[in-house]
Amino acid sequence: MKILVPISVVPDTTSKIAFTDGDTKFNEDGIQWIVNPYDEWYALVRALEITEKDGGTVTVISVGDATAEPVIRKALALGATDAVRVDTKPTESYVVAKELANYAKDKGFDLILLGKETISYNGSEVGGMMAEFLGFPFISLASKLDANGGVATLDRSTETGTEVVEVKLPAVISAAKGMAEQRIPNMRGIMAARTKPLTVVPASGVQGKTSTVKFGLPAAKSSLKLVDPENMDELVRLLHEEAKSI
Amino acid sequence: MAKEYVSMRNLRFVLHELFQVEKLTTYQRYADHTKDGFDLMIDSAKQMADTLLHPIYREMDDNEPKMGEDTVHVHPDMRKIMREFGESGWIACQEDYEHGGQRMPATIYGASNFIFHAANTSAASYFGLTGGSADLIGTFGNQELKDTYLAKMYAGEWQGTMALTEPHAGSSLGDITTTATPAGDGSYRIKGQKHFISAGDHDGVDNVVHLMLAKIPGGPAGSKGISLFVVPKKRPVNGELVANDVKTNSFEHKMGMKGCPIAYLIMGENDNCHGWLVGEPHQGLKYMFQMMNGARISVGMMSTALSSAAYYASLQYANERPQGRHVSNKGQDGPMVPIIEYADVKRMLLFQKSIVEGCLSLVMQCSYYEDMIRVTEGEEREKYQMLLDVLTPMCKTYPAEMSLLSTSQGIQVLGGVGYCADFPLQQFYRDTRINPIYEGTTGIQAMDLLGRKVTMKGGKAVMLFGAEMQQTVMQAMQDEKLKPYAEKLGASLQKFSEVTMKLMGLAQTQEPEVFLSDATLYLENAGILCVAWQWLKQAIVVQEKLAAGQSGDELAFYEGKMYAFKYFFEYELPKSIGLVKRLMSDERLTLEMSEAHLN
Ligand SMILES: Cc1cc2nc3c(=O)[nH]c(=O)nc-3n(C[C@H](O)[C@H](O)[C@H](O)COP(=O)(O)OP(=O)(O)OC[C@H]3O[C@@H](n4cnc5c(N)ncnc54)[C@H](O)[C@@H]3O)c2cc1C
Repeated sequence: MKILVPISVVPDTTSKIAFTDGDTKFNEDGIQWIVNPYDEWYALVRALEITEKDGGTVTVISVGDATAEPVIRKALALGATDAVRVDTKPTESYVVAKELANYAKDKGFDLILLGKETISYNGSEVGGMMAEFLGFPFISLASKLDANGGVATLDRSTETGTEVVEVKLPAVISAAKGMAEQRIPNMRGIMAARTKPLTVVPASGVQGKTSTVKFGLPAAKSSLKLVDPENMDELVRLLHEEAKSI
Repeated sequence: MAKEYVSMRNLRFVLHELFQVEKLTTYQRYADHTKDGFDLMIDSAKQMADTLLHPIYREMDDNEPKMGEDTVHVHPDMRKIMREFGESGWIACQEDYEHGGQRMPATIYGASNFIFHAANTSAASYFGLTGGSADLIGTFGNQELKDTYLAKMYAGEWQGTMALTEPHAGSSLGDITTTATPAGDGSYRIKGQKHFISAGDHDGVDNVVHLMLAKIPGGPAGSKGISLFVVPKKRPVNGELVANDVKTNSFEHKMGMKGCPIAYLIMGENDNCHGWLVGEPHQGLKYMFQMMNGARISVGMMSTALSSAAYYASLQYANERPQGRHVSNKGQDGPMVPIIEYADVKRMLLFQKSIVEGCLSLVMQCSYYEDMIRVTEGEEREKYQMLLDVLTPMCKTYPAEMSLLSTSQGIQVLGGVGYCADFPLQQFYRDTRINPIYEGTTGIQAMDLLGRKVTMKGGKAVMLFGAEMQQTVMQAMQDEKLKPYAEKLGASLQKFSEVTMKLMGLAQTQEPEVFLSDATLYLENAGILCVAWQWLKQAIVVQEKLAAGQSGDELAFYEGKMYAFKYFFEYELPKSIGLVKRLMSDERLTLEMSEAHLN
């Protein structure tokens, strides 16, 4: 099986988020970058499990500039066969999806497996768009996946229950929690990653269709309030009016 | 449990900005490595620590190992931990490719070890000891020993130990009485007792391989007659593991490091304990010292790791604990403020920060010298070897002794709950208490420094070391902001060399007891100077970074470093004045008084 795993490069979960340029740009100073956990822990690891069992290759691909390469190397250290970087700074899901589809369209991938969303923008858009551009079926939020004989069987866990879906390959599938267990790169993998192919391909020049007008942070959590135990009315008022929990 | 136990940002600072580890990749030995690869290794170490080690730190303390029929039952996760660290290549990582290693630089391994021990020092000791003892077999053992033991040890299937101490012989290893009698078939029969052997027996592995010191009858007396043996708990015979007459009599109940049992072993009760000589007869102590030097640097790292875990736990608490109000709040009204706002609490935290980051830098300096020894030759290599030899007693002792004070300040930041079991501070404090004791007590390290290292090669090693520090002082003098601090360190170094001259004079004219009587204070003084030196080195880098312009968290990081640097120079370095005064004094109370006066 020939699997393509698109990976996003996102800020480490402990990063402090700040904006520049009149709140239109994300401030990247001092940010540690990681592979988007949904792409890494679930999509990539499951792709590796499938090819370790039945043979095949796993190509990881990322749309990004050169700063993405150390992060892409982690995917190689985890066991991906090779990597591709589409050389442009990602600006919006449409550009990313179209660039990925442009690369993938004539490469004969059986399966395109990516995380259900990024932890930075939480868009959940790339998979669906990519499938549309490639003319492949798209199944989102798979928490279990088996693929062989040209067919993928997967579980979609939703809030109301589980749906078991079968789809003929090639297809685009987005991975949710449960599909695989996080792996940690081992020493051999890290050393091997250095010499695995990481091909840089030029972007095909897809133009975006949206622009960010302004970013904002969520309202700061209010500080601890101590309420006098005798003053239950005040507690009820605060829970009702400020916390809005009753 | 506190959220963090190490600062990955500070580790990156130390590795990349301070020591510029990627330069190591220009040497043949490390040419297969890259900066990105180093980062991946450190990140993987953190992930291993987060997922396997840290979650059971407290559990391993709460549930002490239990003595079973023929083994010690340890935390059930230890089997998994040993396997995972073996399979993922961590136990062999520093070795050459042919031993399944990846030639990981000592600097990167040191940084990883720091993370592992901060996460769970008991658990990290099992695989650390295994790697160290396997390395000893790999370096000095014959092919048969290598073929029999290395793969299993590096896979984490067999535990390795260092078995030196006997009930009557701890610091004084020359007095050990365990014997190894030639059996005529190339092996030896071992008879004797060892105690305090860390991870000396447990059910997390299929076998335990002791690297044991013993004496061959008829050999030279004292430490010159010590040989090194491989003594397995079960010996491999035709593919089977056969009991090797090594009995675990008991294990100690100790105040800390409870997750890692220390075994009392009896060998040869049935005259059937087989041992195999490592290297040449009577060279055991020399071989063991190779491991012990590394182990001493590791103890410095372990101590720093526990200081780090205590610092981040107390920092988190100080940010979250509201208590009282500022004295300037005349009416003492309004909400209580978090205790981190009080100057005295900041002082306690800054003390911890200056110890953690100063000692980390010192230990990494040793690891860096280890790397340079591995990649250089001839005179250059000899230079790094001398620097490492001189620095090792300080690297082991200062972080260990200060870890007692630093973790104690961590408890103090928490107040009453710091003393209670719900918070981890008391465990860090108990766990770190062993560090000034094993791998040579502070007293023994002090005598090693003053009695051996200072005079080594006619004082050349110490002069080289002084020159390294002077070089940093000169460099810092170029920066107006750092100049006053450079002058302070320069003056302290000058005083310290006067002390050394005086003590060397005493060594020439009087019994050795006289010049060695306050060796521990001499070592303490040397430790303070070494960490001040490291802080000055850090400050030079920080000034460059600040001059380049920083914002947000990065600015706070570098400014925080400057505060910790200044703290060390303002609060810790002056302690050397008192030490110098004492060391220059001719009053010899401890020699004059008799035992009867201690009543
Ligand atoms: C948790 C733990 C783990 C251990 N793990 C191991 C292990 O894996 N393998 C192993 O072999 N051992 C191990 N040990 C033993 C440890 O290395 C010894 O306890 C240590 O070397 C000190 O020896 P001792 O306990 O016999 O103390 P002693 O040597 O009796 O020392 C007692 C005191 O006297 C001082 N003293 C001794 N001799 C002199 C001298 N000549 N001049 C001045 N002062 C002196 C010492 O500094 C110390 O303060 C472990 C011990 C513990 C507690």
